[in-house]
Amino acid sequence: MEPSITTTRSRRLRRTRLGFVVLACFLSVSALAKQTEAEKAAKEQAAQEKLLQVFVSEPYLELSTGPGRGYPVFHVVEREASVDVLFRRTDWFKVRTEQGVEGYARARDMRRTKLADGTPFVFNLGDMAGFTTHNWEIGIGGGNYGGASLINAYGAYSLTDNMKVEVTLSQFLGNFSNGYKVEAGITHVMFPEWRISPFLELGTGIVYVEPRATIVLPEDRTDQTAYAGAGIRMYLTRRFFLRADYRWHTVFTSRDDNQELEEWKVLIACFF
Amino acid sequence: MESPNRLLLLTTALCATLLLSGCSLLRWPWFGKNKHVEQQQTEDQAAAEEEAEDSDSTPPRVIEPNVARRKIKTPKIDNENWEIGGGAGFVSIEDFGTSSTYAGQISYHVTEDFFFRADVGQSTAGKTSFETLGGDIELLTGNQRRFTYYSLSLGYNFLPGEVFLGRKLAMNSGFYLLGGIGSVKFAGDNRLTLNLGAGYRVLPNDWLAIHLGVQDRVFDSDVLGETKVTNNMEMLLSATVFF
Repeated sequence: MEPSITTTRSRRLRRTRLGFVVLACFLSVSALAKQTEAEKAAKEQAAQEKLLQVFVSEPYLELSTGPGRGYPVFHVVEREASVDVLFRRTDWFKVRTEQGVEGYARARDMRRTKLADGTPFVFNLGDMAGFTTHNWEIGIGGGNYGGASLINAYGAYSLTDNMKVEVTLSQFLGNFSNGYKVEAGITHVMFPEWRISPFLELGTGIVYVEPRATIVLPEDRTDQTAYAGAGIRMYLTRRFFLRADYRWHTVFTSRDDNQELEEWKVLIACFF
Repeated sequence: MESPNRLLLLTTALCATLLLSGCSLLRWPWFGKNKHVEQQQTEDQAAAEEEAEDSDSTPPRVIEPNVARRKIKTPKIDNENWEIGGGAGFVSIEDFGTSSTYAGQISYHVTEDFFFRADVGQSTAGKTSFETLGGDIELLTGNQRRFTYYSLSLGYNFLPGEVFLGRKLAMNSGFYLLGGIGSVKFAGDNRLTLNLGAGYRVLPNDWLAIHLGVQDRVFDSDVLGETKVTNNMEMLLSATVFF
């Protein structure tokens, strides 16, 4: 019967050994998991340090499921609690609460929160004050360029409230010729704090003209152009404004005479 | 004889005035000596009085706060208003059949309601029924069949909502309307286009959006002899990312 005993023993032993191995594996895995968890927490901590933390100073802060007034409110953050600001989309801030709940808070409500040192959280709301002082503006529109239809897009950077550097991209489609032009110039807004403000502009660029095939001498050409102009900017609402201007162009052609062209256009633009 | 005398007198008077006024500007050692002494006396008195007062109680120590005020650096907030992406779909070019199209798009979200959007796309037109039936007749060359377009539009978001996939997954969604101007290059000519459209957007997460959109690009065409208004419907499935 001895062999049987030894067999049982060995089986037991094997089982225990197996058990140990499994346990060791489990422990090592759990240790690894713990380690990764700890690392994750540390990483999150590090990531959080770069995020802006604001404190709710009103009775509560509402969080919506999406960045729009139509999305439902699903969570409220109580007074004195903090939230981390993840990012901003239009007039909504994606925030994370201390419990890890993420949602969108309205910019108007975020204006009433406070920073860690007790000072109010200040940011650009995109209102009339923003119309006066901002960094960038972009706009699209249409008009007329020497009798041809004009499609226009522009971007401008504000050096000061009055002075802006702008780049305009245009395409014109006429009965006799089509073409593109790229222009860069300086715009001087006379009264940036007014709702309706006149401005003056001056610049230069390149115009590429391709006469339509039906015309004799279908020769494409690229010429330098310069312009002087004036216009009006009108603040509409939120971040939008209308911009209408007239430009007097001189095209430095390779022919004997320079060509003079009139351009007017209306654009809808926004600032940010 | 009178005039030289008068001149002399006047000169003397002038010199005297200048000298006197100049003297008053200078700091003479005897001037203000008494004043200084008086001031010192009063100061000594005051010090003596203070000492007398202090001797009664322990001298108060002024503690200089040696703590530097913490400067809080506010991290910059990430603005994610730009959306860029591309997709593929179909465009029905009037008289030239339906072809596949590839397009790219970039949007800037100004407010929660409005956004600017620019589209660029390219397709190749098929054959008209006249060409198909007529055998070897070719109205346009290969290069002229290329249908390239762009548009600049203003978009309006409406009907925001959520899409539920199963029990646990909810994704934000919304419809939008588009309208704008642009240009199309077709049959060897550029034409001004007006575009009108609508789209449906689903956001699986914060930075990704899937669009299904339909746009009509309207322009005057004289490819088939007479000038007429053509409607060119485009249907596009695209993916965009916010940044």
